Amino acid sequence: MTAILEARNIHHAYQDGPESLKGVDVSIDQGRKIALVGPNGAGKSTLMLMFNGILRPSRGEIAFKGMPLKYDSRSLREIRGKVGMVFQNPDDQIFAPTVYQDIAFGPSNLGFSKEKIDRYVSYALSYVGLSGYEKRPPHHLSGGEKKRVAIAGVLAMEPEVMILDEPTSNLDPASSEEIMDMLDELNCGRKTIIISTHDVELAYRWADLVLLMENGGLLRSGPPAEIFSDQDLVARARMKPPLIVEIYRELALRGVLNGQSPPENVVGLTDLIETCARGRVKRDRLGRIYLCNAERSPPEEIRALIRRADVDYVGAMGSSAKVMAEREKIRLDFTYGVIDKSILKALVGRSTLLITSGGMVDHALRRVEAYSREAGVRLDVQLMGRTAEHEDGKR
Amino acid sequence: MHTLLDDYAQCNALKDVSPKVKLLLGLGSILICISSSTPAAPLFVAVSMSVIIVGIARVPVRFYAKLLLIPLSFALLSSAVVAFMHGTGTPVFSLSVLGLDLSVRDDGARLAALLIARTLGGMCSLFFIALTTPMIEIFSVLKSIRVPEVLLELSMMIYRYIFVFLDQAAMIHNAQTMRLGDSSLRTSVNSFAMLCSVLFLQAWEQGERLIVAMDARCYDGRLDLLHQSSRTSARSVMIVLAYLSVALAVAVLTREYQLL
Repeated sequence: MTAILEARNIHHAYQDGPESLKGVDVSIDQGRKIALVGPNGAGKSTLMLMFNGILRPSRGEIAFKGMPLKYDSRSLREIRGKVGMVFQNPDDQIFAPTVYQDIAFGPSNLGFSKEKIDRYVSYALSYVGLSGYEKRPPHHLSGGEKKRVAIAGVLAMEPEVMILDEPTSNLDPASSEEIMDMLDELNCGRKTIIISTHDVELAYRWADLVLLMENGGLLRSGPPAEIFSDQDLVARARMKPPLIVEIYRELALRGVLNGQSPPENVVGLTDLIETCARGRVKRDRLGRIYLCNAERSPPEEIRALIRRADVDYVGAMGSSAKVMAEREKIRLDFTYGVIDKSILKALVGRSTLLITSGGMVDHALRRVEAYSREAGVRLDVQLMGRTAEHEDGKR
Repeated sequence: MHTLLDDYAQCNALKDVSPKVKLLLGLGSILICISSSTPAAPLFVAVSMSVIIVGIARVPVRFYAKLLLIPLSFALLSSAVVAFMHGTGTPVFSLSVLGLDLSVRDDGARLAALLIARTLGGMCSLFFIALTTPMIEIFSVLKSIRVPEVLLELSMMIYRYIFVFLDQAAMIHNAQTMRLGDSSLRTSVNSFAMLCSVLFLQAWEQGERLIVAMDARCYDGRLDLLHQSSRTSARSVMIVLAYLSVALAVAVLTREYQLL
């Protein structure tokens, strides 16, 4: 992997104030999911605004794909087309009187033709699951919908890197999970995603790299499990350990659990507790995971499958799958974290049908295979109908 | 949240009719109202517009009636003044207050009636536009009749941010009343002054955040807000023209006829 964004010894001060960034060195690889974590005033937002040239460092440089960022207007246009930024408050960003006009703003600034703009706008809207909202005025949207419009406005510019400042603030839990699910989907499409957050649970579960910031500097960077299991570090950055880490640590202290590092998620934790409590469990009946591609499987086929007795739960991942389920009135049991949920259910002998957006079939397969290998169980994944043909064709 | 005119403009039964047709109907009726010399045509417009708004556009009667009370109260007050102050002719009604002789003469009464009728007709037509046509569509009509871009772009942004500031003002107001900022006239005035100044500062900061957000999407000083235009059907134009001719006919035919 190559570094797509680098900050090299970045210093910055807002107008004669104290330095808000004091020499930050960060290197971000392409296609990663990065969480910037740190207390208020640590310099997260300032650093984010550096990445697409909105703020200029007083010392040091930002590099995009190895090339130092220049601050003339042409280079700035170029970098802002490649590194998109979604602001924390959608009202700061959505300024046009209709959704269509707002999303068209970026592409039209990039000088696209009318047809291309139309195409990109409808693509971005369908991606965030808001097709048909073109003519709506922003003040008639809910908080979650506004957030989606803000994301679509940046998505329509086809950036390689997306930076989101506190993407889940002010959203209800389901909306936040859906936004994070969408970011996962974008990440599957090879986009590099950088978020800032105070939510340790979210950062722990979602990110593959955590950048812990404190007082204008980078305190530590590393995988979430490593960062959040260091108690001193967590306390120093005014964070708290994620619940999973805390449970793991306390159970380890009581001698119930043994392991090198805390598990990454609920699946890992439950497995660990189970094996430590009962030893290797022999399961006689595992549930199945049916995978189908929302864009290829006809709805009748999906309905027929759901009617079959052995599908206990239905989950959808990715916007197009959710939109399809809503249109076809398919009741969804899971709308986020669906792969892990289907694994959990399979372990207790229940079967799940996963409806996924096109790009995520491979992702789901890989995740289940990785789990099977790790846990030493054979989970049965069935690709349905045309989904299977499609996958076979590819191999 | 409050229910605003804008909410009905977004979701009334006539929202898909071309905005040009609706503007033609509204503006045409206003013109007829203010050029009519007797109350008959304006009253005809007022009644028919109300029927259209409530019956066809499906705006709730209660909401519409409340809305109409605002201009009506102004019209009644000012026409009362006009009735007493204006005109010659035989007194229709007189009273004496503290030795002062006040009387309404038939000339004044006629003018007052005309004033009320025109206000009512004009306001009903205006409410018709406001309640059935979303601002965005009015913008696109303005664009098609070549109103300068700068004006349009500014109005669009102003329109968008009115709602943001309205929410902020409501939040500040709530924060104030929660801590008894309206307990007396004095504190109310004070609170209101604070609300205004804070809102001004917030607007300023919002502007600065906005420009940063626009820069992040490659803003280069050129704002091409794209429109999606709607089609005008010949049938609806014919209906509107027919209606306007009827209203005009009423105005012309009742030209000589006086109520009093």
